Amino acid sequence: MSEYLIRRLLQSILVLFLISLVSFGLIHAAPGGPTTMLIKPNQSPEIVKIQLHNMGLDRPLHIQYWSWLTRMLKGDFGTTFKAGRPVGDFVWPALKNSLILMTTAWVLQMLIAIPWGIYNSTRQYGFSDNTAAVIGYAGMAMPTFWFAILMQELFSLKLNWLPLSNMYSMNKIGQFSDLVLHMILPVSVLVIIGLASYTRYARASMLEVLGQDYVRTARAKGVSEGKVVFKHALRNALIPIVTILGLDLPGVVAGAALTETVFNWPGMGRLFVDMAFAREYTVIMAVVMIVAVVVIIGNLIADILYALVDPRVRLTGKGAASA
Amino acid sequence: MAAALFAGCSKDTKTETPPTTAPPAPAVDPNKPVDGGTLTIGTFSDIVTINAIMIDDTSSQDVASFLLAQLYDVNGKGEVIVSPWSIAKEPFTISTDKKTYTIKIRPDAKWSDGSPITVEDVVFTYKTLSNEAVGAPSYSAYAQIADVKSQGTDIVVITLKDVDSRFETSLTANIVPAKAFKDMKPEDIGKAKYGTDPKETLTSGPYLWKEWVEKQYITLEKNPNYWGQKPHIDKVIFKVYADQNTEVQALIKGEIDFLETVPVATLDALKASPAIKLFEGAGPVYDYVAFNFNADNWPGKWVPFAGAKTRQAISHAINRQGMVDSVLKGHGSLLNGPFLPGAWPDSPEVTAKWEFDVNKAKQLLAEDGWKAGSDGILVKDGHKFEFELMTNAGNKRRESYAAIIQQNLADVGIKVNIKTLDFSAMIPDHFAPGKFQALLLGWQLGLDPDAESIFSSLFFPPAGQNAGFYKNEKTDKLWADGYRVSEKAQRKEVYKGILQEYAQDPPYVFLATQNIITAYNERVKWAKEDQPVQAIPYGYFYHINNWWVTQ
Repeated sequence: MSEYLIRRLLQSILVLFLISLVSFGLIHAAPGGPTTMLIKPNQSPEIVKIQLHNMGLDRPLHIQYWSWLTRMLKGDFGTTFKAGRPVGDFVWPALKNSLILMTTAWVLQMLIAIPWGIYNSTRQYGFSDNTAAVIGYAGMAMPTFWFAILMQELFSLKLNWLPLSNMYSMNKIGQFSDLVLHMILPVSVLVIIGLASYTRYARASMLEVLGQDYVRTARAKGVSEGKVVFKHALRNALIPIVTILGLDLPGVVAGAALTETVFNWPGMGRLFVDMAFAREYTVIMAVVMIVAVVVIIGNLIADILYALVDPRVRLTGKGAASA
Repeated sequence: MAAALFAGCSKDTKTETPPTTAPPAPAVDPNKPVDGGTLTIGTFSDIVTINAIMIDDTSSQDVASFLLAQLYDVNGKGEVIVSPWSIAKEPFTISTDKKTYTIKIRPDAKWSDGSPITVEDVVFTYKTLSNEAVGAPSYSAYAQIADVKSQGTDIVVITLKDVDSRFETSLTANIVPAKAFKDMKPEDIGKAKYGTDPKETLTSGPYLWKEWVEKQYITLEKNPNYWGQKPHIDKVIFKVYADQNTEVQALIKGEIDFLETVPVATLDALKASPAIKLFEGAGPVYDYVAFNFNADNWPGKWVPFAGAKTRQAISHAINRQGMVDSVLKGHGSLLNGPFLPGAWPDSPEVTAKWEFDVNKAKQLLAEDGWKAGSDGILVKDGHKFEFELMTNAGNKRRESYAAIIQQNLADVGIKVNIKTLDFSAMIPDHFAPGKFQALLLGWQLGLDPDAESIFSSLFFPPAGQNAGFYKNEKTDKLWADGYRVSEKAQRKEVYKGILQEYAQDPPYVFLATQNIITAYNERVKWAKEDQPVQAIPYGYFYHINNWWVTQ
């Protein structure tokens, strides 16, 4: 196991390096730059050159990359081009805000979706199962931002039960109860949209297992239905779900750009979009690297969980192999 | 609904209640300003810095206008004046050679730490703005400064390299404190903590900078020791929104009180809200089609736009009124030349009207030698009249304009191929080097009407923004004359000459100006003369000191 972890870690460092190289190249290849996003009638090309020089953007790309990388390795994300602010000032608060919103939604989603999917698998095509199917199709078909606007329209503007957007009311900054109130709508939107697929995964995975021979054997032996479902079937059914959980983990960090935009939630998704428009390369790179790290960790966690729920999977130094 | 509107502001409402023995139900005159309260303004994008040297975006300039005093201010017509909140004490004087401006500053103007705003601060600000190495985004407005010096403790003398009447509007700069940039190299001024950290930012305006939470809000509080005319409103909050529709909903909900501009598509919802008031005015913006005269952009190096009559015909062939009616839904007006309709440099009596007239267009094209080919497309000297019209993708207004132009010109036998490109790619790859055949884009105008850098042949790409390589020796000279004479009446006469020339030899198809629709909650009050003016840049909050809020 430890040999496996070390190997994966070394691989991860290489992957991160390659991601940083490719992303750095790609964003600098995109047209425009921090100085050219606005055109003004009297702006002379000379002054733009001076601005680029003062921002250090007139240096050759490989030198810019090297200076970014060496700072990055020291834990310094650099500064923004406009106004020279530390990138961390933008990224860390946004990360925190996204985590608050996304983990809440993610955990709730799991707590509802997995038991519900399991329940539905035992009562296939029952009322609950059909309801889940309808919500599932609707959730997958509906554009998130549209659904979010509908929820705002109903619960905030028409019924006036909930705040429209933002994290806090201006006179209640930092109050936990106010934060919870502001989270109800965006979390509901994220949960309902995500619920759809997770419930279907859990149900499908469970149904597949329930149809297998060993389950039939267990039933034939006279094992109670509850024991069949929870003891025999569940552990196997969880395997694909765990994989999806691990793969979805980065979303918690990357934020949800559309939901964050509609609910004006100051998270990573919004930050990334804003900074991409402003061509603030250092902030974009910081976001990309943080998400990349979480993707790698997420995959690793999924593999480890895999081994925990499925004894057939052993983690060896030669990569995950099943017996 | 109204009762719930300001649930979010209940705390501030409380502080407004007079602590003294007020009668239980005082008869309040709604037209009489009251002190106190909070004004919450929605902004579509966060600020970058309020370091006035480096400001390059509207949000930052809006917030800065609450925090930093200007040397001179402007009135509702965009004229430079001394106001009860300007640093200058009296109107400036100009030397007889029109190159030297002498400015007397107030002795009592103070920074937020109580220290006086001195002539050194003014000199530093103008020296820095005119120092090319700093890379100030507004450098071109100060580039003509030859020397700035102080005389005694209250006089600043600015000398220009040459007579330049455009410089007058540059006297409205926000002044920065010299001591905040002490011992800094010019190239580092853009990286100063000044302007981004409220604690490190000395201010001089009616409000103090309390807080900036990125992507969320900026809070300002009345400066108790403010030296100018004191404002009525206690607290100003700028709330940052990610999206214009979210912003409008927040206004309807009562979370914010004021939006500089709202999209036309949200008007019905806003009109249905009894607490919301709307007013609109022409913005300092217009859209145009630029012709490209550089033969390198054309197959066979043959420019179809060479003939003036051809360009006149195109202006007549395009249904611009139809654009205003159908695309802008009436929230805009026709533009016939490079000056905003109704602005002082405009002379409508000599400006071509370019009325929509297909027959006239056809006649002009025929006079210029175009004949219909077998496929109906015009031909001249063996060249088909076909061109590519470029505009930025995602701008619905310009995309609709382009479609109308394509249809209208097809009706007179000109084939237009529309090409849309991402703005960020179009500017460096096509606009800046002047690589296009025809370009549909817009300009935002400054306080001064000069547009030499757009229309004069001195400013061909890459040196300037005459991206279509338009050349007219008469107007080249007139644009320069426009700022070499200093009296407004003389300038107007010069600009009249330009309008006359453009009526014959148009550089653009001037399309239309868009109105800006401002929306606010009725609790925000102002006297008529203090109303925001959309037609002047930063004309929204220029009289903020006179506004008040109820409740």
